[in-house]
Amino acid sequence: MSEENQSCSLPSNAEPTATRSTVPMWIIVVTLVLVFIGFVFFDRHSGWFDAKVYAPYGSVEKVEAYQPGTGPNPMIVGKKNYEMFCASCHGSDGAGKVGQAPPLAGSELVITKGFHRLAMIPLEGLTGPIKVKGQEWNLIMAPMGAALPDADLAAVLTYIRNSWGNKAGEITADDIKTIRAEIGAHPVPIVGDKLMAMPE
Amino acid sequence: MKNGFGVFYAVVIALGLSWAGFVVAPAVQLGTAKRTTVLVTGDNWPLQRTGAATLGEQVYRANGCVACHTMQIRQDGVACEVTLAKPGKTPEVVSNLLATLKLSGLTKEEADATIEKISTAGGKAETHVIPTGADITRGWGVRKSVAADYLYDAPLQLGTLRVGPDLANLGGRMADANWHLVHLYAPGVVKGSAMPSYKFLFEVRKVGSAPSSDALNLPKEFAPADGYEVVPKPEAKQLVAYLLSRHADVPLYEAPFTPATKP
Ligand code: HEC
Repeated sequence: MSEENQSCSLPSNAEPTATRSTVPMWIIVVTLVLVFIGFVFFDRHSGWFDAKVYAPYGSVEKVEAYQPGTGPNPMIVGKKNYEMFCASCHGSDGAGKVGQAPPLAGSELVITKGFHRLAMIPLEGLTGPIKVKGQEWNLIMAPMGAALPDADLAAVLTYIRNSWGNKAGEITADDIKTIRAEIGAHPVPIVGDKLMAMPE
Repeated sequence: MKNGFGVFYAVVIALGLSWAGFVVAPAVQLGTAKRTTVLVTGDNWPLQRTGAATLGEQVYRANGCVACHTMQIRQDGVACEVTLAKPGKTPEVVSNLLATLKLSGLTKEEADATIEKISTAGGKAETHVIPTGADITRGWGVRKSVAADYLYDAPLQLGTLRVGPDLANLGGRMADANWHLVHLYAPGVVKGSAMPSYKFLFEVRKVGSAPSSDALNLPKEFAPADGYEVVPKPEAKQLVAYLLSRHADVPLYEAPFTPATKP
């Protein structure tokens, strides 16, 4: 190095350095606005990363709103309650069990025009003799459905009326309420003949 | 280098965040996914594949079907349609009202308002939830594909290129196994098809004492010489079993729609 160069304030091979300076205000504002817009978009369209929310729904509420049918499905609720309260005797396949309970599949007591007679059975209980699909049964069924809420029992009956090849109309919570009012507080198992004498 | 540690930590944080977001979080969310329940019927979803179909998945993989076929149905939107279930005691009033209302292409709120109007007039109406989108218009599926549909897939063969049609719901829309065997042997049965023939999954052999019950029923231009027959090897049958096991046609909570016929 020569003496002339030494007098220069910056050597030619020195690291360039920058002084600190403040970030311009407008960059901060634009960044914050973009972050805000991003969050609004995220909130509207992400479903907050819920595994059950896919496009085009965007939120759990929207997925919920588009579920088919209003309210819970009687076939699902009914199946669940049937398995819990009825299947132990009548079987998951509705075929009944010899010496324990008659079949529900194809039973003329289940596939009825009205709801009156059928709703009586789980609410009041049933005692024989009765005829199901041409066969005599003379047993006792306790009021197995009396403790269920109206809507749940209605779902069970709708389920047994529309499973295993059965096809019959829906039974609603209001129908159950009507029959419950008719029976009153103390159900006594109804006798088969008396039941058959009632309107469907 | 100046700030070496700063750069190092910045790289670790940037890669760590994306690893956490793209690998760890989905694994936590879906890695332990179990079967879900089909809406309306309450059945389990998805169905377990048969043995042949599970083997067929590997045939699908070995033959590179994934290069030209996707298995993912996209859905762009959802619309509601209102239909009259019971005209009630005043059918004329209801039918006059129906004529003035918009009944399809509604949002859920609009559909609810329409149902309210109809029930005020004495009728009873139902909402049908209908997914919409190009793939659905093409008839490839009825709703979008969701994670649950792939629960038993190993490996996942979603595909990225659609030289051929989407196969996510093939079992739901073309259930004829014999047609699929013929099509694998002679894709030319579909006019203008770009699909190559998978002849090596079949055996062309001399007819023995009697024709095989497995022999393909081929159209004239693809049929072998007289006295010969085409029979599928086990791989072809497994592949078709796998193709027919592809279903995305039941309503799920995360992909709802109103099935065509209620139970
Ligand atoms: C403890 C066993 C038992 C349970 C649990 C039971 N039942 Fe029964 N059920 C019977 C018996 C026994 C009879 C036949 C009574 C008779 O002989 O008169 C019967 C008869 C019936 C019948 C009329 C006959 C037929 O087959 O159509 C219906 C309907 C019925 N049960 C519905 C139900 C429903 C709904 C439930 C659940 C809420 C239920 N049962 C739970 C034992 C049972």
